[in-house]
Amino acid sequence: MTAALSEPFGPLEPFVHPALFYRDEQEYLDGTVPFVRDGLEAGEPVAVAVPGKNLALIRDALGDAAGDVRLLDMREAGRNPGRIIPGVLRAFADAHPAGRRVRIIGEPIWAGRSDTEYPACVQHEALINAAFRGRTATILCPYDVERLPDHVLTDAYATHPTVIPSGSRTARDSDAYAPGAVVDRYNEPLAPVPYALTFAFDSDSLSHSRHVAVGEAARLGLGGVKLDDLALATAELTTNSVVHGGGSGVLRVWAEDGYVVCEVRDGGRLADVLAGRKPVPRDQRGGRGLLLVNLIADLVRVHRGDDGTTVRCWFAR
Amino acid sequence: MNTQYPVPATGPCGPAPGLAVFPLAGRRGVRAAGEVGLTTRAIWEGVLEQAVREGEDVYYLELSDVTFVDVAGAGALAAAAGQLGDGRRFVVRRPPAALRRTLDLLWPNQTGIEVAPS
Repeated sequence: MTAALSEPFGPLEPFVHPALFYRDEQEYLDGTVPFVRDGLEAGEPVAVAVPGKNLALIRDALGDAAGDVRLLDMREAGRNPGRIIPGVLRAFADAHPAGRRVRIIGEPIWAGRSDTEYPACVQHEALINAAFRGRTATILCPYDVERLPDHVLTDAYATHPTVIPSGSRTARDSDAYAPGAVVDRYNEPLAPVPYALTFAFDSDSLSHSRHVAVGEAARLGLGGVKLDDLALATAELTTNSVVHGGGSGVLRVWAEDGYVVCEVRDGGRLADVLAGRKPVPRDQRGGRGLLLVNLIADLVRVHRGDDGTTVRCWFAR
Repeated sequence: MNTQYPVPATGPCGPAPGLAVFPLAGRRGVRAAGEVGLTTRAIWEGVLEQAVREGEDVYYLELSDVTFVDVAGAGALAAAAGQLGDGRRFVVRRPPAALRRTLDLLWPNQTGIEVAPS
C-alpha cells in the first residue's frame, strides 16, 4: 500500500512549496508581504488564504495593493482540509493560463486545529505536492512556531521540500521531505463508535439508508442546509460502496461535540490518493461524489485499509 | 455491529422510491415524481436525452415532487444542458434543495439551465 500511496510524489518542478516558520507578527509580515508584493510586481496572480486574524495583518500591511490579491479566510474556506486543494488552491490556479506562475499563501494548520482534524490537515499538506507536481505555481505555507506543537513542525519538514526557518528570508532544502510517508503514517484507522446508529445497506436499500441517516441527523439536531448536505454526502458515499466498494457497506450516524458525524465503511479499496481533491473537467461525466463531499462537509477523514475503506464526515450542528 | 436502534439491518425496506415521469399538459416537458439516484438514473437520463433530441427552445422539468437528486443526476442535467446550445434551455421548476446545492457547487454558471423556484 505504501508504494501505491507514494507513487504520485515525483519531481515537483516548476512547483515551489516552501514552509515559512514564523515566531511573531513581525516575522509573519516579513515573510509574507514581500512574497505578495514580489508576485504583484511580476504580474503574477496572487491569493492569500490564511486564518482571519493573519489575513487582517496582511491586508493592512498591503494597503491599496490588497485590492489586487484574492483574500480568503482559511478558517472558512479551508475548514475541511480536504476542500483546500480543489476549492481554494486549484480553483485559483486553474483560473489562470497554464504556464503562468501563480502565487498563493496557504495556512491550513493553526493553533486550535483539533486532534481529529490534524491527520487530515497534514495529509492535505503532503498531497499538495502530488496535486501541483509539474505546475507553475508557488505555495507558501506559514507555520506558527510559537504556538504549534513540535510534532506539527517536524511534520512540516516532511511535507515541504524546502523550509524558511524562523527569522530567515531564505528557503533551505528539507532533508526530511517525504510526503508519501506522511500520507501513509496518518492513514489512521477509524474505530467504529459503539453508540452510533448502525445500518447495513446494499443496492436495494440505498434510498432507505439516506432516509435513515437524515432522520437520525435531524433527531440529533442537524437542520437546514447542513441536513441537506448530510443527505447528499450519505447518498454519494453509500452509492460509491454499491458501485465501487463491493456492493454493500455499513452506515453509521452519531453526535460528537458540536457535530453530527456520518460514516460509511465498505470492502472497497480507494487507490487514488487525490480522489475527491482534484477539480473535474467540465466535460467529464461522473467522478464528482467525493469532491462534493469534501466541499460540503466541515471535516472529512478517510481510512484506506487492506480490507476496505472508511469515510467519516463531520457536519456542524 | 450495534443493534440498539430499531432499524432494519439489511435487505428490502419496503418499496424503494422510484421515479415516475409524466408529460406536461400544454408545454414541452415533463413532471417527475420520486427520487433520482442510482436505481432511477437510467430513467432520468432517458428524459434528458429525449429533451435534447426534441429540439425545443425551452424544455420544462417540473420537479416539485422530486425529493432528492444525487450528484450523478445533477451531472446528467448539466451534461444535457451543455448539449443544448443555440440559446435553448431547461427550465427547472421547484427542484429539491440537493439539486440546487450540487449545481451551485459543481456546475456554477452552467449554460442551458434556468432554475425557477415556483
